[in-house]
Amino acid sequence: MNNLKDKIDALLMKVSKPTRYTGGELNSSIKNPEEVKVRFAFAFPDVYEVGMSHLGLRILYHLLNKREDVYCERVFAPWLDMEKLMRENDIPLFSLETKTPLDKFDFIGFTLQYELSYTNVINMLNLAGIPILSRDRKGLPFVIAGGPCAYNPAPLSDVIDFFVMGEGEEVINEIIDAYIDWKKRGGEREEFLQIVSQIKGVYVPKYYIEVYNQDGTIKEIRTIKKGVPEKVKKRIVKDFENVYHPEEQIVPFMDIVHDRIMLEIFRGCTRGCRFCQAGMIYRPVREKSKEKILDLADKLIKSTGYEEISLTSLSTCDYSQIEDLVKKLIEKYKDKGVGVSIPSTRVDAVSINLLKEIQKVRKTGLTLAPEAGTQRLRDVINKGITEEDILEATKEAFSAGWTNVKLYFMIGLPTEMMEDVEGIVDLAYKIVDNYKEVKGNVKNLKVTISTSTFVPKPFTPFQWTAQDSIKDIMEKQDLLKKKLKSKVLKYNWHNPYMSFLEAVISRGDRKVGKAIIKAWEKGCKFDGWEEYFNYDKWEKAFKEAGVNPHFYANRERSLEEVFPWDVIDVGVDKRYLIREYKKSQEGRITPDCRLYCTGCGVKDFDEGVVCFEAPQK
Amino acid sequence: MKRLRNKYIKDERVKFISHLDLLRVFQRALRRADIKVAFSQGFNPHPKISFGPALIVGATTEGDYMDIDLEEDISPEEFRKKMNKVLPPGIEIVESYEVELNDALSTKIKGAEYILQVNVKKSIKYIQNKIEEFMRKDIIEIEKESKSGRKMVNIRPCVLELKVIEEAEDYLKFYIKLKLGEGAPNPLHLLKALNDYLGNLFDIDSYKLHRKNMILE
Ligand code: SF4
Repeated sequence: MNNLKDKIDALLMKVSKPTRYTGGELNSSIKNPEEVKVRFAFAFPDVYEVGMSHLGLRILYHLLNKREDVYCERVFAPWLDMEKLMRENDIPLFSLETKTPLDKFDFIGFTLQYELSYTNVINMLNLAGIPILSRDRKGLPFVIAGGPCAYNPAPLSDVIDFFVMGEGEEVINEIIDAYIDWKKRGGEREEFLQIVSQIKGVYVPKYYIEVYNQDGTIKEIRTIKKGVPEKVKKRIVKDFENVYHPEEQIVPFMDIVHDRIMLEIFRGCTRGCRFCQAGMIYRPVREKSKEKILDLADKLIKSTGYEEISLTSLSTCDYSQIEDLVKKLIEKYKDKGVGVSIPSTRVDAVSINLLKEIQKVRKTGLTLAPEAGTQRLRDVINKGITEEDILEATKEAFSAGWTNVKLYFMIGLPTEMMEDVEGIVDLAYKIVDNYKEVKGNVKNLKVTISTSTFVPKPFTPFQWTAQDSIKDIMEKQDLLKKKLKSKVLKYNWHNPYMSFLEAVISRGDRKVGKAIIKAWEKGCKFDGWEEYFNYDKWEKAFKEAGVNPHFYANRERSLEEVFPWDVIDVGVDKRYLIREYKKSQEGRITPDCRLYCTGCGVKDFDEGVVCFEAPQK
Repeated sequence: MKRLRNKYIKDERVKFISHLDLLRVFQRALRRADIKVAFSQGFNPHPKISFGPALIVGATTEGDYMDIDLEEDISPEEFRKKMNKVLPPGIEIVESYEVELNDALSTKIKGAEYILQVNVKKSIKYIQNKIEEFMRKDIIEIEKESKSGRKMVNIRPCVLELKVIEEAEDYLKFYIKLKLGEGAPNPLHLLKALNDYLGNLFDIDSYKLHRKNMILE
């Protein structure tokens, strides 16, 4: 018997939510590790219920396990109670499927979804007994990373052996094939890094250095290895209709954050909101056909037994045949008690009608994201909705019986003034009035207003802007706390120190990476969890690393500045971003590029990249 | 509508899933098997599935029961086969039979048999005798927490049998038979009481619990 497994079992008797660590869920992959050529540990640097809710993990897991020569297993960040017991009992971080220690794998692949999970990446390596610095590793495994945050690879450059830029579905197989070939030859570790540096989409940080100016900005990013690309181009899936989508999905035993089928109906977004990194980096929009989606839905429902299917994308209501698709799904599965959900709601009559359909099977909330409180500011960020849209949509919803509305806003947006923050309050009260008009009173009404704090992100038109100071953010939050006091209103806000840290890391360079390691040494982990976030430790870490965090978060950049992420090419042209940045300052909007191409450049990025064209009705 | 009573196994592989999780497992398995379960009426309809008393997380069973009301006419044997095809590894229905619709599982279950293994800190002499002594007591009290605060309850009437079935250097294995029902103790309550009585000889957190059987009326 596997001795480690028994030891783990004994610990599981003592921890909260033990099924975070057991594996064995329906549709998880069971293979004999001895019979494969490559063992791949898919690592998610957060707790199980968060990681399992992530579509990318689910796609790549099944994709890799489709190969007979590969066994992909999962590993998550153990919760603090489990970590403590593991360290006390000398139990290394292990995979869920076979309880194999991580250092026995060929690859550990991290997905980077959130900057505040970086200390968890380091902590997981340490728990596995793997050196946290790439240069200290000898032999196997290779520690690799992908995901949206990887587009600025600088902060984790000392930790990760190589990054994979863009959509992983194709490139991961190329990497595995190259690995099998290299291993057969009995090659050196260094040699493999050289081989992958030639694969399109792979960035090997040790082959590049950041050269700085006197003022601490970057002068240039220099390649220090012959033959590696000056700029690493991200990978784009060109045939999205036929790209692999799992027909089965793991069904966890415990309740996870998104406990439902996730079916990706399209990728990319054409709206062009200027704050949104996903809207830029996942271009262009590529849809799956309705027939394909219906076919996948059927297989997924049969193989999982889930009671809900979520049609996922960045803006699901924008799917060209969304009404028809939702109606068909509901018709087909309502007798089985399977509901449909759409994660993001457009503010218009069409989406309210859709919600009415969906409501027939399962109750669903109403969530709208106006993002900013005044029209002026919504134009600045290119959020193409008007106050009328919002009021009309909520009125429609109230008439149809909804009593709960959730509204999402951002504060600290570029050019924001107190008037704009007041605008959030005005809008909230107008919605309350709206309800009164429809229902005659405000009984049962509940309006929840949540504000997040704007974080300028790489590869967006706002990558040059300064984040608001923590003091300013707090003032704005205080105003909202004071003015959104009413029985029917509820106000939620986000910890401004966490948003500040997110801003520092997301536009950080390699120097910031040193501070992250220092913070981990001081005990920082699960920074994305407010109860464990400890800003004092971070402040000390920055000081010790000689890093001024405000330089990264609160400084406006010049258009000429070289960014740490300029070594990556995501397909969206910098000239387009500059154009959008300038337009934002003039308060001019840019229409949805489903109407006509607005020239972001992704079309000409690579051969075979085709932007979505709506089918003729 | 018909009601099927099912006896099922939950083995080592799935011993950490909770009672609530198990309900979801069966609901989803029913959907995968394409079997129509009956739903309760009312504002928030839920599938008519009822379980016997919950098993402690971390324990295995080979004799738990569960009732399911079905909309469709399917034989118990076919039901069992269809379900076992789609249940996750480690959960299996071993017996299925039809009962009357007014036959409530909760009133039928009278007791349960357990095998409990616990690590000992040092070997215990004359353990069998000591257990007999322990069982001769009229009152075995444990502290229970309730809404009105802590209070002592006598569990002796619920303990039908307790004996050692295996003695090893570092562990003991017990056979335990308990009454089940409202307010009844679980085997760990009993273990704790015994440990107090013996002067803290067990490593009380290192145990293995297995439910052998549920006793139906
Ligand atoms: S190239 Fe044109 S159509 Fe394609 S995503 Fe960019 S702006 Fe939109």
